[in-house]
Amino acid sequence: MEQFEGPFLLVDPQRCVGCHTCELACAAAHTQAGSIIGAVLAQERLHRRNRVVQVEGVKLPVQCRQCQDAPCVRVCPTGATYRTETYTAVDQARCIGCRLCMMVCPFGAIHVATTTVAGQEKRAAFKCDLCVDRPDGPACVAACPTKALSLRYPRQEADRASQAAARQFLEALASQPQLCS
Amino acid sequence: MAVSDKILKRSIDPSVHQMLARAEELGLETAWDRYEAMLPECGFGELGVCCRNCNMGPCRISPFEDAGPKRGVCGATADIIVARNLIRMIAAGAAAHSDHGRDLAHTMLLTAEGKGGGYEIRDEQKLQALAAEYNISTEGRSKEETALALARAVYAEFGKQEGPIQFSRRAPQKRVGLWQKLGIDPRGVDREIVEIMHRTHIGVDNDPVNLILQGLRAAIADGWGGSMIATEISDVLFGTPKPTRSLANLGVLKADEVNIIVHGHEPTLSEMIVAASRDAEMLALATKLGAKGINVVGLCCTGNEVLMRHGIPLAGNFLQQELAVITGAVEAIIVDVQCIMPALGNLTGCFHTKFISTSPKAKFPGATHIEFHEEQAYDIAKEIVRLAVENYRWRKPGQVVIPNDKVECLVGFSTEAILAALGGSLDPLLEQIKSGAIKGIAGVVGCNNPKVQHDFGHVYLVQELIKNNVLVVTTGCNAIACAKVGLMLPEAAAQAGDGLKAVCQSLGIPPVLHMGSCVDISRILTMCAAVANALGVDISDLPVAGAAPEWMSEKAVSIGSYVVSSGIFTVLGTVPPVLGSSAVTELLTSGAKEVVGAAFAVEPDPVKAAQLMIGHIEAKRTALGI
Repeated sequence: MEQFEGPFLLVDPQRCVGCHTCELACAAAHTQAGSIIGAVLAQERLHRRNRVVQVEGVKLPVQCRQCQDAPCVRVCPTGATYRTETYTAVDQARCIGCRLCMMVCPFGAIHVATTTVAGQEKRAAFKCDLCVDRPDGPACVAACPTKALSLRYPRQEADRASQAAARQFLEALASQPQLCS
Repeated sequence: MAVSDKILKRSIDPSVHQMLARAEELGLETAWDRYEAMLPECGFGELGVCCRNCNMGPCRISPFEDAGPKRGVCGATADIIVARNLIRMIAAGAAAHSDHGRDLAHTMLLTAEGKGGGYEIRDEQKLQALAAEYNISTEGRSKEETALALARAVYAEFGKQEGPIQFSRRAPQKRVGLWQKLGIDPRGVDREIVEIMHRTHIGVDNDPVNLILQGLRAAIADGWGGSMIATEISDVLFGTPKPTRSLANLGVLKADEVNIIVHGHEPTLSEMIVAASRDAEMLALATKLGAKGINVVGLCCTGNEVLMRHGIPLAGNFLQQELAVITGAVEAIIVDVQCIMPALGNLTGCFHTKFISTSPKAKFPGATHIEFHEEQAYDIAKEIVRLAVENYRWRKPGQVVIPNDKVECLVGFSTEAILAALGGSLDPLLEQIKSGAIKGIAGVVGCNNPKVQHDFGHVYLVQELIKNNVLVVTTGCNAIACAKVGLMLPEAAAQAGDGLKAVCQSLGIPPVLHMGSCVDISRILTMCAAVANALGVDISDLPVAGAAPEWMSEKAVSIGSYVVSSGIFTVLGTVPPVLGSSAVTELLTSGAKEVVGAAFAVEPDPVKAAQLMIGHIEAKRTALGI
């Protein structure tokens, strides 16, 4: 069977204005309360899984690319980081906070922070999980006020591109009969 | 000490490089680090399209044509939101300057009533002149009686309902007429600020032009009201500045003396700190504790105030406040109001330095609060100085790193001092302008901002101007930047164009004249008004221009607005948060010319900014036929 091509988040840097709304939405989506205000009121810890950075005046959010052959999965000594069909996941219960995944991630998309797992405070890795448990998809995509973020399925993108290229080729053929001879 | 490229890019001042390297070595953060950590800064804020004026929001307008909301919940467009936000900045800036002016009026009132704890009327001539301006008879009155009448009249300017603000009538009649025609002649200082807050409340004024006109009215109430009151009353109480020599930059701190820094804006407390530092008892205490003396130095505009009147050396401008503490040589940093970084609380905690707040309006985490009351001014100042002197014992000489950098400067050019340098009349200056030896006059002012390489915007702009025979008058952090590179020495005339050089050399003045603190931009207005009146034209006809190359504060927004409202073309070095509205941007950078005879430009490159100003000055010369 052909391997399932999991989705990832695509950023359009031309649309990002650097407002950090995606960071807040990410943190809120991963709280019990589900909102920033609710989480602050309930004194929940807020952790973002993405980060808005600036390079040469261009602003853009950076988060996990959901690598198919992920260095973080390969390097994890406890199997806490693993690949599911759709994304690269962390099981914080098994995570020992060794930070090897942080070191090898080429996108700087993983960080280790204090969290509470099964009532115990511990240090564990945090990374983007594409909000797989969120029915409406990634919170950052929904929150972005300028629509700079979108969830893309590589296979669909490739299909669309080859369809478009094929259509363009056929149109070219129709207008340039000499190509057919 | 080897200095990294990162540090070199932060400032052009070697003392800053040295102290930033020291901060790195000690693991201390500064404003530059915090700025970097803040990046990217929110684009909605940068564009000015975020509105938090009611709780249906926060709302923000998308800058993209095809995505995101174009109106706030109430229906406000980007034009409305940008205009509202901008004039709220003006309100805050005008409030800050004017409240400073109010404090001075209060001090004069107490002094006149004999309740000022050590203050006196130092400039009787100015008192008489101001009384005459207010139509206050001085006949048969003691100076205290005159001062009392003047203090009451000046005090009343803040709460006036119908105007006019007396000092605004220094402006040429044509200008006042224009303000009246536009409905922007201020009625009272406080009233215009309050009206901004009313108009920008949900559902009040939603016409961007009408909003901005009110912003200009409040700004005029600042420049020709609150700020001018601050300047004039300070001169009456503490003396009108006269040319005096001093030193500038961190090297003014002394390794073997008690170092006291006065930082903030008002002269009321700093005057008394200077006096108390000369108290025999305090000097004896310092000697007893092993110090060779008490060295009072200034930062920011409080520094400019005591520099102008007493030649107290300057430790630096806004972005050097943390660096001064990092020298480890400061016994106390004493602050009043405005531009004091709350970061000083944590930072002074890493040293023996005492951070002493004094204003009931301005408290800081990590500061010792010793509240200042004018009635016991000298006693409180002495208590603060005593605390500083006693703290000398805890200085760790091994931790002290004081840069060698300090440069001599000739300062103290109040309008009166400039007139005196000219021989008592403006005529020689006007002749030099007419002949073209001096092309025009530029007022270069404003803050520091880590978005601009520290002092780069200031120094290169001013150098380009004087090279092109434009006489520069300056205040605030620009003045300090100029002092630190020697532009305020008569010898700096060598850097000026031939015409300006000759004028400076014949008068023995620098090509860059220090006119004081940021409220003293009112001195520049007074001088422009006097020149315009002498020529029988409006200020907008004069070959003059303004610039704020490294501005950051709301006060600067108010300043820029009153300068433009007074008819003076102004170039900003950092972009104000207005680009989210093309209508407001167009109004400020072009449309305003048709309304008040001047507009803003934004140009981060200091040389190009100077060229814009010179181009403007040339055009005004041509129009005047000179």
